[in-house]
Amino acid sequence: MGSRETGSERRCKFFSLTETPEDYTIIVDEEGFLELPSSEHLSVADATWLALNVVSGGGSFSSSQPIGVTKIAKSVIAPLADQNISVFMLSTYQTDFILVRERDLPFVTHTLSSEFTILRVVNGETVAAENLGITNGFVKPKMVQRPVIHPLSSPSNRFCVTSLDPDTLPTVATLLMDVMFYSNGVKDPLASGDDCDHIRFFSFSLIEGYISLVMDVQTQQRFPSNLLFTSASGELWKMVRIGGQPLGFDECGIVAQISEPLAAADIPAYYISTFKFDHALVPEENINGVISALKVSQAEKH
Amino acid sequence: MSGSKPDILWAPHQVDRFVVCDSELSLYHVESTVNSELKAGSLRLSEDSAATLLSINSETPYMKCVAWYLSYDPECLLAVGQANGRVVLTSLGQDHNSKFRDLIGKEFVPKHARQCNTLAWNPVDNNWLAAGLDKHRADFSVLIWDICSKYTPDIVPMEKVRLSVGETETSLLVTKPLYELGQNDACLSLCWLPRDQKLLLAGMHRNLAIFDLRNTSQKMFVNTKAVQGVTVDPYFHDRVASFYEGQVAIWDLRKFEKPVLTLTEQPKPLTKVAWCPTRTGLLATLTRDSNIIRLYDMQHTPTPIGDETEPTIIERSVQPCDNYIASFAWHPTSQNRMIVVTPNRTMSDFTVFERISLAWSPITSLMWACGRHLYECAEEENDNSLEKDIATKMRLRALSRYGLDTEQVWRNHILAGNEDPQLKSLWYTLHFMKQYTEDMDQKSPGNKGSLVYAGIKSIVKSSLGMVESSRHNWSGLDKQSDIQNLNEERILALQLCGWIKKGTDVDVGPFLNSLVQEGEWERAAAVALFNLDIRRAIQILNEGASSGKGDLNLNVVAMALSGYTDEKNSLWREMCSTLRLQLNNPYLCIMFAFLTSEAGSYDGVLYENKVAVRDRVAFACKFLSDSQLNRYIEKLTNEMKEAGNLEGILLTGLTKDGVDLMESYVDRTGDVQTASYCMLQGSPLDVLKDERVQYWIENYRNLLDAWRFWHKRAEFDIHRSKLDPSSKPLAQVFVSCNFCGKSISYSCSTVPHQGRGFSQYGVSGSPTKSKVTSCPGCRKPLPRCALCLINMGTPVSSCPAVLLLMGFLWMQ
Repeated sequence: MGSRETGSERRCKFFSLTETPEDYTIIVDEEGFLELPSSEHLSVADATWLALNVVSGGGSFSSSQPIGVTKIAKSVIAPLADQNISVFMLSTYQTDFILVRERDLPFVTHTLSSEFTILRVVNGETVAAENLGITNGFVKPKMVQRPVIHPLSSPSNRFCVTSLDPDTLPTVATLLMDVMFYSNGVKDPLASGDDCDHIRFFSFSLIEGYISLVMDVQTQQRFPSNLLFTSASGELWKMVRIGGQPLGFDECGIVAQISEPLAAADIPAYYISTFKFDHALVPEENINGVISALKVSQAEKH
Repeated sequence: MSGSKPDILWAPHQVDRFVVCDSELSLYHVESTVNSELKAGSLRLSEDSAATLLSINSETPYMKCVAWYLSYDPECLLAVGQANGRVVLTSLGQDHNSKFRDLIGKEFVPKHARQCNTLAWNPVDNNWLAAGLDKHRADFSVLIWDICSKYTPDIVPMEKVRLSVGETETSLLVTKPLYELGQNDACLSLCWLPRDQKLLLAGMHRNLAIFDLRNTSQKMFVNTKAVQGVTVDPYFHDRVASFYEGQVAIWDLRKFEKPVLTLTEQPKPLTKVAWCPTRTGLLATLTRDSNIIRLYDMQHTPTPIGDETEPTIIERSVQPCDNYIASFAWHPTSQNRMIVVTPNRTMSDFTVFERISLAWSPITSLMWACGRHLYECAEEENDNSLEKDIATKMRLRALSRYGLDTEQVWRNHILAGNEDPQLKSLWYTLHFMKQYTEDMDQKSPGNKGSLVYAGIKSIVKSSLGMVESSRHNWSGLDKQSDIQNLNEERILALQLCGWIKKGTDVDVGPFLNSLVQEGEWERAAAVALFNLDIRRAIQILNEGASSGKGDLNLNVVAMALSGYTDEKNSLWREMCSTLRLQLNNPYLCIMFAFLTSEAGSYDGVLYENKVAVRDRVAFACKFLSDSQLNRYIEKLTNEMKEAGNLEGILLTGLTKDGVDLMESYVDRTGDVQTASYCMLQGSPLDVLKDERVQYWIENYRNLLDAWRFWHKRAEFDIHRSKLDPSSKPLAQVFVSCNFCGKSISYSCSTVPHQGRGFSQYGVSGSPTKSKVTSCPGCRKPLPRCALCLINMGTPVSSCPAVLLLMGFLWMQ
């Protein structure tokens, strides 16, 4: 488990922009935030968040391991939910980031220290995180069922998660701008006309030099072939959108509610939180199973 | 590479080929231009080599890294890592019927596309190719491909492999790696470890990891920033270099916790680090925007020991061209040869010169090493006029026991080869000093003896202030007015100068005779003259002219001399004082200087540097007043000290002044041998303790050791200990008690002095000592002789066994 202080280097090294029908969500480190123009249109979530990142150090190398959020559902997400620590997820092509409030860090460290070696990145060098000395006041959490609380929806788009060579970024810069800010769905009359479940969703992140893109198949086709990094198997993903009302930043356990059933079923997933809602991506062939499993969980609530 | 910055690689087996890769691959052939003109289209690489372009391959776009197939390939098989993580095998050859035909064009595809950062062929199994890729959340970053694998396994269904247009030859696609390592991590650099075929060292995102393919679930890793460019020392398989920004870290894999060494940080980020394949411990590094290659020589530290001892390294740099260097490559076999390429693809082929290490042998030969060559330079064995090196001289002198004749001390100059007038003067001085010290001690045991060794300067000083007595009148010359009364000190000084012999006799006759015998006519004549015996002088000169060996012109000189007149304004005087300067012989010259000088001023004699110091001093003793003499001696002493002239020892004696003089002599000649023996001749202890003296002595001993003259060393040490008892070595052999282990000699000796142990407990047979039959430490009995059962500690002679033994020894 690595804890990365988002503000430890001079230039912006953590940038993520996600377009949803409601808004654009920007996750940025402190240096990047200073570069943003102040605007009345900009709503900023309170507190500073730290990005945690699970690094596999040895362990099993089975290739059939479920990936992403699913892998860390039991070891990271559930324990944090049990301790009532609110998390914010950002999956990328390269890894999964779990953002926690800076003030929660001692609790996070304590919670996870039983399962992980906690390291801190200071100026690029990995050092052991200091023991923050919190040992008391923790109630051993009881195993609770975590029913899905919020309403779910599943748009019809098929998504792909890709990356590209940073050297080729300039060649697609205009296209990216167009896709993110000027398309507004109208370029795709087929999808918007036929399918009312279609959602506008596009995510771009540039974190420590690595680019990650999440887009639907229609958008992907606008990119030159061979430019985007994809998987050899050409896997595609479908989305589960969580939340009817804006979720806010304080409620705990939302990620856990979704990821635990997926982990139980061994289904890999991406998870992208935005300012208002959460989005899970699962393989398209699993979407029906996922929806029904989550529906069951939802039903348990009532 | 990324299109702009070219990289360069030597072919691992075809020593005259290399590849430059940027957006395409260009194969070049290197040719010597020593005996031929530069061919059209060739690129000059150095003064005597040029490169010809053989072929270009632009079939592989998005190149990120290239690695040359390690076993012999006539077709230049290369693996190219691309931006999308695919590894393509390609070739630069023209012959497509080669055995690699099937391999060319083969692609190795990772499950999830991302940049391929590095490639490494396995040096043992040539078909294994390791590729290091960027991070993917679910995929592995180190993939090991078998380039001969012919199938696409069933795990990934063929229909799911979405191929881009034109990729119809699916048989050329391989999607199943032999090994997958480093999940959810990035791999920035790779290198196979020569220790085992299945050990792979990888620079991962934030750590260096050693993967063992025999057990892929295990890895050894160490957290570090220095994860770029891992490379193993080809001569020292546990030594690995890696870098991060401007810093190179050197690791010892046996102690894989932290770098054993970090090299001085460069201001700009490093781009390449490579061990020299033809020379041990030489690491070359290159930084961005730099026109120099920095070299680190770790020759002296094959095994760094411990945490504290930081190995020493020698840093230097080479500048092969004026432009910035984009990349470099060591030649795989030519010693220290390297090729560099600049961003605009100019290339330069050069050899890194070795530092030249040089060593003098203790016997004058000189040796130096450059690369793998050793050069020796020895002194030629001939007796020509060329001055021999002092080391040779000292060695020869040591062999002839120079310095060890303590009876006839003057003979030492003969032992030294009888060629150096300074040495001759020195040893005569020391001889006289010894002689007259003994004389003095016999006559009046007092402090005079030590005065002799203190030199004429001190002797003369001691006479200062004594009342000057009346002058003698000598016949034949008017100079008698200047003749000084010879007091005891002046006589001693004259004796030391060798003009007069032992006893109170002030006759120079015997000295003159000995000079005449040696054929030193001019000197003898001068001495005779200075003793106001002009007849004798003329007689000596005649003798010299007629002896055959001497110069016939001596007769002419004798004639001139006989015309002496004491009239002040005579023609004789005028002519002599001007023409004397044209005389070659200094003694003849000073004779006329003396005769033509004004009374009381003899500078022409006193400051004639070609005349032996002893003669000038003797002259001064005879003709100068006390105060003049003192001033003159003082001045001359300083002159001698400055010049390091050994004749000056006559004045300084073996005092601190003498050490000063000897210091400039040693500085001038390096002759520590003479310095040591001279100082050991009779110096007082406080002079011997002078650190300079000790330094000369120690150096001379080391020199004897270096020559392996063990016996000479022992002789020298014995000689030394006679004068300086404190230099006696401590006893090194003790008899210790069987029971308590304590030294018997030590505990029973009443005198607490080491080194005399045996005599203390009576082996030497001293009848006054009580015999010891039991250990004084524990009171247990000492062992007995096996034959006579007499206890140890009994006089030797009484034991028959010992007698028997000695008998045997005698018979040998």
